[in-house]
Amino acid sequence: MQKTDETVGVLGVDATTVPRAGADECRTPSWPFVTGIAVALCLVAVVAFTGISWLNHPAVAAWRTICLAITVQALPFLLLGTALSGAINAFVPADLFTRALPRRPALAVPVAGAAGVVLPGCECASVPVANSLIRRGVPPAAAFAFLLSAPAINPIVLTATAVAFPGSPAMVAARLLASLATATVMGWLWLWLGREAWLRPTVRHTGHQSGHSRWTEFRLGFQHDFLHAGGFLVVGAMAAATFNVTVPRSVLDAVSGSPWLSVLFLAVLAVVLAVCSEADAFVAASLTGFSPTARLAFMVVGPMVDLKLIALQTGTFGRPFALRFSTATTVVAVLASVLIGGALL
Amino acid sequence: MKRHAQILLLVLSGLGLLHAALFSDLYLRYVKEGLRPQLIASGVLLLLLGMASAVLDRGREKGNGHTHGHDVEHGHDHSIAPRIAWLLLLPALSLLLYAPPALGAFTASRAAGKAVKKEKEFDPLPAASPVPMTLTDFTARVQQDRKQAIRGRSIKMTGFVTPAAQGGDWYLTRIIFTCCAADSESVKVRMHGTAAPPADTWVAVTGTSHRQGTLGTKSAAVILDVHRIEEISPPVNSFTDDLPLTPS
Repeated sequence: MQKTDETVGVLGVDATTVPRAGADECRTPSWPFVTGIAVALCLVAVVAFTGISWLNHPAVAAWRTICLAITVQALPFLLLGTALSGAINAFVPADLFTRALPRRPALAVPVAGAAGVVLPGCECASVPVANSLIRRGVPPAAAFAFLLSAPAINPIVLTATAVAFPGSPAMVAARLLASLATATVMGWLWLWLGREAWLRPTVRHTGHQSGHSRWTEFRLGFQHDFLHAGGFLVVGAMAAATFNVTVPRSVLDAVSGSPWLSVLFLAVLAVVLAVCSEADAFVAASLTGFSPTARLAFMVVGPMVDLKLIALQTGTFGRPFALRFSTATTVVAVLASVLIGGALL
Repeated sequence: MKRHAQILLLVLSGLGLLHAALFSDLYLRYVKEGLRPQLIASGVLLLLLGMASAVLDRGREKGNGHTHGHDVEHGHDHSIAPRIAWLLLLPALSLLLYAPPALGAFTASRAAGKAVKKEKEFDPLPAASPVPMTLTDFTARVQQDRKQAIRGRSIKMTGFVTPAAQGGDWYLTRIIFTCCAADSESVKVRMHGTAAPPADTWVAVTGTSHRQGTLGTKSAAVILDVHRIEEISPPVNSFTDDLPLTPS
């Protein structure tokens, strides 16, 4: 993680110095090249000494498979998200969203949360879109409500939930309500306690500039956002794959007895497994030993907080934001699941 | 990160996706079949993006550094990509050069068995002998079919071999996922009466339901007494619980 932090720091501190660093890059070999060559040499050395057989050890092979699977599965959605974000940035007039949303931020939050219905697909797409919404002048609180609700309440995910839990429509309703409630409460929490300083400074700039071609702006923004988010996606996929391989599912049965512990346990499991929001209902359905409320918590927390998302948010909004936001969201999501699950399930 | 490096990353990622989804069936090891169009579209898009950057951005790198340097309001230069993007090289090269295998016995041996849905009613079994059956269907029939239609019938199933922790038995296994390999679940049926073939071997097994407990209730053990076993080649899409292909 050290390298990642450093990168974030360099990008976050003073964006105006970045172009100059880029200009230097043309003349002197910069550290990515040096590190890249060093890593390549180390790999060559390891392979030369031990052969490549360790890459095929069952545990390592399973790790590589799951890591690659998470990345490959998320790439189309990440591309969709960054393309949308680039398009919002370059083509949408700056005041469109401010006109469409209620003027009072406290009212804009639930409206933006409910608007999450329109973005189909996985959670990876929503991070860049929320970022571009903030750049276009949408109040951050409303953008965050959208960020949290979009992956959880879109029709694809709700349909998958209905298929995974046949004969219990209450589970679909509970998921919809608990996710919307969490997104709205988090938006209000940001209005109450949130500070702009936690967000990376660069997010307040850009948009269409007169004299620049909109298409070129779109393409460059898209390319930059994709490469940036893609790198963080790989970090998140590696972390999630590590937990996926090291935590055997059969351990779960040990914890399922206690109702309170099981809710917390499944919430944590949702964070570390990073299952895509379109599939998490099926995983939840297979956790038969757990109470419905615990399984609801798994499905409410999963699309809002997981290792892959924390990595993406760190890359997009900065680390101070990602840590605070993810922690608060987990707490609110668990509370919402317990309250709504207790009432409906 | 320089422009050339960005182009390299975009093109390699695009080629990796196209190699996995368009020119081979590699993607089936990692994600569900339905994602293929999106993967191909993503591959084409990344390739186009890389080529557009190679053709259109020539000379942009030097010129832009200056204009944007003065432009304090902008403060977010798109011609420089963050260094963390280098990590995208790993999945791209992995897909192109050294693709990891499909999940197998290692994962299955550590997973709890998938819960089998409650069936209200079972259709009569086909007259063929042996009866081709999926692992899920077999489990459901053994524990839920009150008519005990499979009693004494010869049954054929396919899957890969997962050794059991102890005893001479082993599991015929399928790994199933709904979205990608991260949400995989295992279906296992215990095999009795033959020595276990090597782990991860794909086999077709013919046998009859083992008598232990009352057939058609939860007390029945999901075990097959193996009569015949033959090695088969792995199916293209191994992450489904399919019927065995019977030569016609």
